[in-house]
Amino acid sequence: MKVHIKKWHAIAQWRWDTGNNDPDDDGEGDVCGICRVPFEGCCPTCKMPGDDCPLIWGECTHVFHMHCLLQWIGTASSKQQCPMDRRPWVTAERKVD
Amino acid sequence: MAANVLAKQVQNKWNNSFARLNRAEPGITGLLAFSEAWRIATDFLYPRDLNDPTPRKEYSMQEVRASFEFLSRAKMLPLLMENFLEDMRKQQHLIERDINEYMAEWEAADTPDFMARLIYRLEKWYKEWSPIPELGSILLSAYTLAFQTHLYSSFPPSFSRGFKQLIASSFSFVNAPCPPWALPPEPHPSLPPGPARQDVFLWSACESLGLLDRYESLIASVCYEYIEAHVMETCAKRWHESMLTCLRGWMTDRVVPWMVMPYARGARSADEARQMLQGVGSRFDYHMCKTLCDLRLQELFDIIIEYPDSMPALQDLKECLSRVDQRNELVKSLRRANRKRLLHPGADTNSIIDQYKNTMNALRFLDPPGVLLYKVADPIRRYLRERPDTIRSIVTYLVGDGEGGEGLGNENENEPIQPLQQRQADDYNDPNWEPEPIDAGPDFRTNKPTDVISTLVSIYDSKDLFVKELQVLLAQRLLAVTDGNYEKERRNIEILKVRFGEAALQVCEVMLRDMTDSRRIDQHIQAQKQMPLHPTIVSRHFWPPLQTSMFNMPGQFKEIQEAYAKEFHLFKPDKKLHWLPHLGTISLDIELQDRTVSAEVPPLEAAIIEHFSTKDTWDVADLATEMKIERAAALKAVLTWVDLGVLKEEDTGLYKLLEVAEEASSSSNPVARQAAMEDTSSVLTVQQQEQEQMKVYWKFIEGMLTNLGSLSLARIQSMLKLAPGYDRTIEQLADFMEAARREGHVTVRDGVWRLQQ
Repeated sequence: MKVHIKKWHAIAQWRWDTGNNDPDDDGEGDVCGICRVPFEGCCPTCKMPGDDCPLIWGECTHVFHMHCLLQWIGTASSKQQCPMDRRPWVTAERKVD
Repeated sequence: MAANVLAKQVQNKWNNSFARLNRAEPGITGLLAFSEAWRIATDFLYPRDLNDPTPRKEYSMQEVRASFEFLSRAKMLPLLMENFLEDMRKQQHLIERDINEYMAEWEAADTPDFMARLIYRLEKWYKEWSPIPELGSILLSAYTLAFQTHLYSSFPPSFSRGFKQLIASSFSFVNAPCPPWALPPEPHPSLPPGPARQDVFLWSACESLGLLDRYESLIASVCYEYIEAHVMETCAKRWHESMLTCLRGWMTDRVVPWMVMPYARGARSADEARQMLQGVGSRFDYHMCKTLCDLRLQELFDIIIEYPDSMPALQDLKECLSRVDQRNELVKSLRRANRKRLLHPGADTNSIIDQYKNTMNALRFLDPPGVLLYKVADPIRRYLRERPDTIRSIVTYLVGDGEGGEGLGNENENEPIQPLQQRQADDYNDPNWEPEPIDAGPDFRTNKPTDVISTLVSIYDSKDLFVKELQVLLAQRLLAVTDGNYEKERRNIEILKVRFGEAALQVCEVMLRDMTDSRRIDQHIQAQKQMPLHPTIVSRHFWPPLQTSMFNMPGQFKEIQEAYAKEFHLFKPDKKLHWLPHLGTISLDIELQDRTVSAEVPPLEAAIIEHFSTKDTWDVADLATEMKIERAAALKAVLTWVDLGVLKEEDTGLYKLLEVAEEASSSSNPVARQAAMEDTSSVLTVQQQEQEQMKVYWKFIEGMLTNLGSLSLARIQSMLKLAPGYDRTIEQLADFMEAARREGHVTVRDGVWRLQQ
């Protein structure tokens, strides 16, 4: 017997590839350390998630909504530091597998 | 001494009296003449028995008149009258005897003709005894009064019932010749010339007996009853045309001509008659309006069900209400009907909402300020708030899921879409401000939302509930879309945005964008590598919680998924895919040794059959463990394939792949085999036969659709399996349902079947 697939309409969710590779992750997922909204949600100023509200990776391995972090860096008190570990913020090169 | 004076006085009196009677005639000739005159007069006036066969003595009128003249000169007329009335009283028993006789006949026959005869008989008595008009009106009216008094006192209690019957039958004389019994027994002396109506005799007889005045309220009540009966007969349940004009026409044709007789018989001209009829006519018109109003109020619940087809009835009711103040009655009866027929657990929420919607429209029409609506709607709103599925029903209504495309789309063709209205405080600077209607309750507000959807949404304090429900509904629909056509959903969201505001529907907006994005991504990936997989990629957190399960697609499915995920990752390097294996549909070709089976199945079923491609025989329990799913779910999926004739149960829980279709050995379903054999001989009859057999199951299907509202085909199939002897495949069921749809029994929408309302 052979099974031929003619057409397959499937449903999937997208996730940010944050390196957290837990396949059974059905909970709220990781949240942005600044706005406390899940990464797959969007920052408080955005309406559309995903490509319109991307993430930003730091060399320090911390991840934030890009808009959240840029706003933070833009304030004087930030001293251009990562809000999590107070090391100078350096945006990481996107790792490509 | 005293005796002397007395004797003198008596003598004086006697002398005076004698002088008066004798009038200075010589001797007692005067007295003799007087006694002659008295004799003639009393004899002439004496009330005789009509039944006495002896012919009446002829009087020379000259002589009679002279006698009266004489008595009048002697001032003896009062005495004569007294004497006459006394005679009448003595003769009264004659009339009484007649009355009793006729009444007994009437009671035995119970037809109005005896009453008419009685009336004519009494009129004859009255005329017989009546003194000549020359005696002056005083004597005449004294006679009439005395006659009538005697008459009324001799009527038995049943007379009024009989009289009523007679009057009631008089309606039929208006446009038709009278039956012979209603005409006077002997030719009337003063037969009016020309086209005068024949019933005039009966009425004038009644009048001369004073019956019209005495029984005035009875006559009116007969007319009321006549009107009521007509209204009930012609108007009940007729809501599709305006009855009021037709009723008014009937009044003019039938009732007014009748009224002329009892109320305006004496009129000499049409104008005079109109004037005489004005008062009583408007009373009858009022009564007609009131009857119609009462009738319509009783039927109001059903009228509202039929809205807007019953618009003419509402028009009538509105007009009647303006004439007859029955607003309180309306509120009371409609609330009662609603409580009894609508607000109970047996009613479907959708029908309550439909009825509420119609009530709104109907009562807004009757009473634009909305006082009636406010009073009637309050219990409905309170009841709806308690129902768990109200929100879902309203949302379904909003996006137009009802039959016949009713809902948002249709609703908005005739009224502009407007944002949800909120209650506002009174605007004290409004120059057109009007006080609230007098019968408004303390909570009533004139500026309540007036459009249907705003009113429905305002049942709840918050509109967030609606948005949430809307999201769920939208998700269901979008996920069911396979051909990329979701323009209708997009349009609905656009319309709803106007109502609920952009911000509230942001989530839905994201869902719609996910749909377009998925398509774009899919197009890109298909360009890189052709794949049968076309996923919908959703943003979690923006969709309502989706069913998740942890089974893994086996074999080639997994390969395809992984390949797709890889391509996706290449296209969007910072994202990855997380499959929701339970959802979606797969269309497959199962290539077997002797045949190819095509099917469109959920992923679970596809996974199951994939497992059979590695091994011919599986135990359901093993399958369940292998796929990490529950046994029941696995069994259900396996049974789908059994129905399709791909698998077969070897042993309890043990299923085997049928590489070669089993026809001869399928002893389990001889009916199907028989049908298949006949199939080759004549296609049509087999189809008909199958239809016949399916009719048995139709009852089951009808039952489940009635109870559960709407079901998918797979659901119907799995429920029918419980029925004894059911052996159809889902395709056969689909054909049957399709046939039922063509016959108008069911409708299908988005793969969900429901009964045609």
